[in-house]
Amino acid sequence: MANGVYLGSQYAMIALGLTLIFALMNVLNFAHGQMYVIGGFVTYTFYGQWGVPFVLALFMSCITLAIVGALIERYLFAPVIKGSAREESTMLLAAGIAFLLDALILLIFGEKQRGVPKIVDGVFNWDFRLIMPYDRILICVLAILSIVAFIALMQYSKTGRALRALAQDRTAAQLMGVNVDRYSMIGFALGAMLAGLVGGLLVTITGVNLGMGGPTSIKAFMMVMIGGAGVISGAIWGGFILGFMEAFGLAYLSQYGDITYLLIFVSLMIFLAIRPQGLMGKPWG
Amino acid sequence: MQRRSLVKAALTAATLTAFGATAAFAENPVLKIGFVGVTSGPAAAWGISNQRSMEARAAWINETGGYTIGGTTYDIEIVSFDDQKDPKRAIAGMEKMAQEGIHYVVGPNVDDGAAAVRPVAEANDIMYFPYAFPKELYSAPASNAVLGMIANYQSGPAIYKHLMDNEGVKTVAFIAANESDPLSQRDSGVAAAKELGLEVVSDNVTYQVDTTDFTPVLTPILRTRPDLLVLSGVSPANAPQLLRSARELGFEGMISTETAQDAGVLAEGAGDLANGFISVGGASTPELASPMMNEFVERYTSMFGEYNDESNTKVYALEYILETLKATPEAIDDVAAFQASMDGFEAPNPYMNGDEKLKYVGMTSFGQKRQIAVPLVVNVYQDGAFETMFIARVD
Amino acid sequence: MLNFSKTQIFGVAAFLAVVFVGVPLFIAATGRSDFYFTLTSVALLAIASAGVWLTFYIGRINIGQGAFALVGAYVSAILVVKAGWSFWISLPAAGLFAALIAVLIGLPILRLRGVYFAMITLVLTQVATLTALALPITNGAKGITNIPLPGAISIFGIPLVPDFSTLENSRMAFYFTATILMVITYAALYRLVNSRLGHLCRSMQQNEELASSIGVNITYIRILIFAISSFFGGLGGAMFGSISQSVYPATFVVKDSVDFMLNCFLGGLGYVFGPMLGTLVLYFGWDLLFEFGKYQMLIYATLLILIIRFLPNGLLSVRFGKGGGK
Repeated sequence: MANGVYLGSQYAMIALGLTLIFALMNVLNFAHGQMYVIGGFVTYTFYGQWGVPFVLALFMSCITLAIVGALIERYLFAPVIKGSAREESTMLLAAGIAFLLDALILLIFGEKQRGVPKIVDGVFNWDFRLIMPYDRILICVLAILSIVAFIALMQYSKTGRALRALAQDRTAAQLMGVNVDRYSMIGFALGAMLAGLVGGLLVTITGVNLGMGGPTSIKAFMMVMIGGAGVISGAIWGGFILGFMEAFGLAYLSQYGDITYLLIFVSLMIFLAIRPQGLMGKPWG
Repeated sequence: MQRRSLVKAALTAATLTAFGATAAFAENPVLKIGFVGVTSGPAAAWGISNQRSMEARAAWINETGGYTIGGTTYDIEIVSFDDQKDPKRAIAGMEKMAQEGIHYVVGPNVDDGAAAVRPVAEANDIMYFPYAFPKELYSAPASNAVLGMIANYQSGPAIYKHLMDNEGVKTVAFIAANESDPLSQRDSGVAAAKELGLEVVSDNVTYQVDTTDFTPVLTPILRTRPDLLVLSGVSPANAPQLLRSARELGFEGMISTETAQDAGVLAEGAGDLANGFISVGGASTPELASPMMNEFVERYTSMFGEYNDESNTKVYALEYILETLKATPEAIDDVAAFQASMDGFEAPNPYMNGDEKLKYVGMTSFGQKRQIAVPLVVNVYQDGAFETMFIARVD
Repeated sequence: MLNFSKTQIFGVAAFLAVVFVGVPLFIAATGRSDFYFTLTSVALLAIASAGVWLTFYIGRINIGQGAFALVGAYVSAILVVKAGWSFWISLPAAGLFAALIAVLIGLPILRLRGVYFAMITLVLTQVATLTALALPITNGAKGITNIPLPGAISIFGIPLVPDFSTLENSRMAFYFTATILMVITYAALYRLVNSRLGHLCRSMQQNEELASSIGVNITYIRILIFAISSFFGGLGGAMFGSISQSVYPATFVVKDSVDFMLNCFLGGLGYVFGPMLGTLVLYFGWDLLFEFGKYQMLIYATLLILIIRFLPNGLLSVRFGKGGGK
């Protein structure tokens, strides 16, 4: 149960960034996992290597990813979307960026698994019924706070309103005087920043290595799918549902051994076949 | 169209310059040794430690005047091919090695790649040294593969036996990633444990390699309260997280694996919780490492910035190839001569103190000598470094 | 219906000449016999990519071709190793089995569109790999190894295809087999696109509801196209298993599925021969950059991004409007 909450909150954050980018630009960002990995490595470098305070290192991760995201949107996605006959062509671009980021991560940060010292020691143990290390509880709380902050930003700030308008109807938003190019860039940067933030948070628990990017992207796709593409509440639901599914599935299905994940995937496919738009999604994305 | 041809021209020019540069420096004739393995993407760590070991050793040899085989002194050039852990690319890589006229190749790193390159290697007279364990690769009729390390079905029983005799271990549980290599290793580990009379209390729990939280995976397995938890074929990325989760869940038994690990990674990822973790390494613990091993570590570190303990076992393949060629100079382009000499080959092991020998083994496991004898050094992690637990030999 | 212009016929003839005469001559002249395998792979992957392209043609992004290639590879391997069939019979059987699976899976999932279909097919590839690991008939994690090379075919005592294991140069034999298959695949694809079915597909790509309202049985067409697409996938996979003489659960993984899709994008979705060119550039490009060592990936990715940045509609869009077969 507690594991479900913990897994769910971290998954939800990954899915949020992806769904934001998707909602704004209709881009399926294959490079999202790589951005998450970069976030982890930046935090590792600042906090683990140079001894900068953790919060500051986390902040650096966010800034780095926001800049990377903004540049990618401005110089790559925006022109390609304008010039391409079918918007799916951006998938090729996203995959190319994923390859590029993977190559850069390998050259800059190396091939080894990296981790940082624990930020808090100790394990919360409630009568052996609930065992949870303190650092997980802390990360979990931080993740939920960031999600709340993000929702507040989207609901109440001017930027948030503009982004939501953009996601609903690009043309209408433009007609209403929203600077589409500018806010697309901000939105993409924000999505990338979320990936960096969660990468930075998780490096304290799981560590980070260059191989985590691709699988993370795929997991994020699944969460977005469960919740419904391009819908923020959907991404949060999707993240928590997948988190709970993994936590419970592994606990109860473990006697079936190798096929646990197979069952999770198959049930996901059946769910989607029955409810193609996910939980909250607009039909046909 | 023009843009593309321009790019192409630029690339060609760059390639030619690169080639010209290497050619200008070489004074000795060049002996090329190949490497086909994974050096990019998720599993990059496996191949990179291989490739860097080879490059560090080659640079060292070339700097000190080259390597003399049959009266001719050669400079060693490592030709590496990144197969991206894809068996299709691995075949292409092996074809490339054949094209370059290379007869001795280290790699591939995984089971499917090693199986896929077999037809190409045998058709083109290439001896290859995979880091993959399937027995059919090394048993007749297969002829050209030489296992480059110690297989888990050899090291596993040695570790279990030692722990049974010295630590009173009676029950054992296995956990593996849901991928070909770890699952095969788990199955052979389980068989070996049963044969030794250990009680296997759990052997069907698996995890996805991209798992970020191992608590739910480990909870059911730890309920069986094993004396020993075996992490079958665990990758260096997953090991620290598994250790940490298991200890945080209150597990107090022993934990071991049959793959090589890196002390730095364990220290960063699990800290003190990794203390007592048993893994298989080469000969870089202080009491075993020869001066040559220490120099190798130094050179590797200055060349690539950071040493990787996995290289302790990976330094050997190139040394074996070169030593065997020195003993049988005509093998340099005659693979049959190489195979013939494998049975009787013996040379001192330069990386280890004492009078250890380099020789080919594998009669028990494969029925023919198709494995390099790497000292089976079982290590225990303690406070940021490995300590030797015991040393065994494979026959 | 198939009125080829002179340039088209010339283009096809030139292409066939290059593939069947030019390449072997070039390889013989330069001694680069390693290109045989690379080009064989290109041909096989191009066959699978053709299937992906076909699903694009009905407006679906297919990231599940790796699953069908894996199915094909396993079916052929099991039939040859365990049932003792000839490889040449197992090859179409593998394709048909993949198509059958596609019908079963396609019935529910083809109702999905857009990113949903893309992502569910992505999950499908994962499912295929995990199933291969779990089933006893696939030999689980150990894979199927030591698959014999294709044997001889003869009709009425006249040998048509020699036994591959007796050949001096089985690489060349595989090259010709693969390219012949590729040519047949693309000929079939071209024929399909320019048939009545092709027109119906195009109308579905534009608007399914509209197509349905004018009396097109869209469910039937969707399933048919998906089955044909998977047939190609199975074919390519089976042939590949035979070359490497082994099949593992990781022989075709998610990355391969994504690659198949990228091949189509890179070549250009508007062109029948796009996936072939895309495969050639993506796969061969990697090999050509081999000399750059650790920067190989970096350069590869940069070039890929530059291509899509400046030619967002695929490589073939530079010659938009011109005729020709290639």
